[in-house]
Amino acid sequence: MMFIRPIRFQDLDGLMELARSAGVGLTSLPVNEERLTRRISRSMLSFAGDLERADQGYVFVLEDGKTGRIGGICALEAAVGLKEPWYNYRVGTMVHASEELGVYTRHDTLFLSHDHTGYSELCTLFLHPDYRVNRNGSLLSKSRFLFLAQFAHLFGKITVAEMRGVSDAEGRSPFWEALGRHFFSIDFAKADYLTGIGQKAFVAELMPKHPVYIDFLTPEAQAVVGKTHENTRPAVAMLEAEGFRYEGYVDIFDAGPTVQAYTQDIRAVKESQLLSVVLADPLPEGEHPHVLVANTSLSGFRVVMGQFPQDGTSVLLTPQAVQALEVNEGDFVRCVPVNPTEKIV
Amino acid sequence: MFVLRPACVHDLPAIERLAAASPVGVTSLPADRQVLLERILASENSLAAEVGFRGEERYFFVLEDSQSGELAGVCGLNAVAGFNEPFYSFRNEALVHASSELGIVNHIHVLSLCHDLTAHSLMVSFYIRPDLVDTPESELLSRARLLFAANWPARFADTVVSAMLGVGDKEQGSPFWDSVGRVYFGLDYHEAEALCGARGRKFLGELMPQQPVYVPLLSDEAQSVMGEVGDDSLLPYDILSREGFESENYIDIFDGGPILLGRLSSLYSVAASCVLPVEIAPSAGECELFLLANQRLQDFRALVVPGVLVAGRLQLDSEAVAALGVCAGENVRAVPLWQTQERSA
Repeated sequence: MMFIRPIRFQDLDGLMELARSAGVGLTSLPVNEERLTRRISRSMLSFAGDLERADQGYVFVLEDGKTGRIGGICALEAAVGLKEPWYNYRVGTMVHASEELGVYTRHDTLFLSHDHTGYSELCTLFLHPDYRVNRNGSLLSKSRFLFLAQFAHLFGKITVAEMRGVSDAEGRSPFWEALGRHFFSIDFAKADYLTGIGQKAFVAELMPKHPVYIDFLTPEAQAVVGKTHENTRPAVAMLEAEGFRYEGYVDIFDAGPTVQAYTQDIRAVKESQLLSVVLADPLPEGEHPHVLVANTSLSGFRVVMGQFPQDGTSVLLTPQAVQALEVNEGDFVRCVPVNPTEKIV
Repeated sequence: MFVLRPACVHDLPAIERLAAASPVGVTSLPADRQVLLERILASENSLAAEVGFRGEERYFFVLEDSQSGELAGVCGLNAVAGFNEPFYSFRNEALVHASSELGIVNHIHVLSLCHDLTAHSLMVSFYIRPDLVDTPESELLSRARLLFAANWPARFADTVVSAMLGVGDKEQGSPFWDSVGRVYFGLDYHEAEALCGARGRKFLGELMPQQPVYVPLLSDEAQSVMGEVGDDSLLPYDILSREGFESENYIDIFDGGPILLGRLSSLYSVAASCVLPVEIAPSAGECELFLLANQRLQDFRALVVPGVLVAGRLQLDSEAVAALGVCAGENVRAVPLWQTQERSA
């Protein structure tokens, strides 16, 4: 059975393999043993409660229970921008008008902002191609919502997710070509890599501090502001179904949208329920909606997914699920339907 | 003989014809009878006023062929560039964006809308008949204003500015405008110039960007004409450059032409001029051309004639003395028309 759990040091080899298969696209998962070790270490200290909020980052892996292989990774940042500034462009509106001249013009304008400071972030989602079956993607991505629900006190009132912006097959971003290039004198991949590995000081040193009128960008660049990369559209659709919205914040490099939601209003957070475990072997006949089930332990957090029948107070789990979750009959677990449309029967 | 004198109301039809022939962009010389009439009246009032401290005075002069009575050119001098309203220009400044970590040092130019030149005096409305371009008469028309200012220092600021027309033409408009102004005005260059010529430039504050404009984001065409003098201003640019005017970091917000600045006291026609008495003498052999002006206010006259300096007195023929409106023995301000190096060249 596939399940989600916190990352640990023994996962380093598996993580390196994941990083290799991810390629250069995912800068937060570099093929770099030292950096990955540090990431694991930070996550473990976070789960142990040994870090202050500014440093807390929770990393989870998808483990294949049969083989012990690591099939994917996902993470949550407790609060962004508390140690180093967190940059976005806010796409604002400026109106230039003169009643007397009969002139009225309206301009989208990029304002450099730190508005998301202190918000939580969904980040570093990667599922190995071998595991892109059987709704593993949903399990991996949405397991975090149960963590947010269970440990609300660890997170900000708003949760954000940065979506990859538009770039061509060679990885060239039209937005970067029109704006960033003038200010950075380095290419997009390098800039993206540097921020990915946490070297963000140069952003402040090199970025335009004054608002930028989008009118001055090339038509190609204007067209991609707030637009998601084709490959990332399913991820955006999933987050939107959970209640995330684009509120006019875009990435400073590729202008990809940042979507956001009040943490407690995320569908899978709000609709999740604590139910008591009832063992069933086998599960009763019949069609049941897919549900995510998480235990309530912080450092021993686990999530599984299955078609587990439930009523308002309890959920029927198989022995494998109970084992993967490390719970016993009668314990409370947190449950939510995987998809918004699948109502609890 | 050509004589420069203050404009008066009965010059109006002739001035109107000259204004109609002047190139677009000389916003201070619109071919609009009412506007021109107001300029003449303002000039008459300014000359009649006792000026304790300079302010709204605007002086308007014409170049007259004393034989035919025809007008061959006009020019103006405003006591302050912006009285009761700001005088707008773009300050072109460099921001250094540097990251020592990345070894990047970028000098990013930005155009900031500013009022820096508001309190300086302003040379305006220069237009001369095409057949008199590059003659002593065009020198007279432009530079007589400097002698006038030298005569009445309390009426003018220490620094005089003059906006040169930028690159562009009647057919194609202005590349700078197309990249900058059009964005905010939604109007053609000609339309905008016409509006501002007829109705003042107060709209600029309402319509132009309050935030700096990043130069690297402008079109290549716009960047290449920033601070470049257009064909229609090559003559005044040449004259004023020889006087000691310099282009600093200010450009016109419409067409990107340079705005020249000069410290009155160090400009050639002021610094090299002296006040000395005239005497009438028959034309002598060793003559050189002098730029001359009397020291009257409402009866100001200036001209270019041959003369001889003899023992601290300037010998002129009787026609010149009469045209200056002075009596023998009366002081005039005089400066050799050509500077030493120009005479030897």
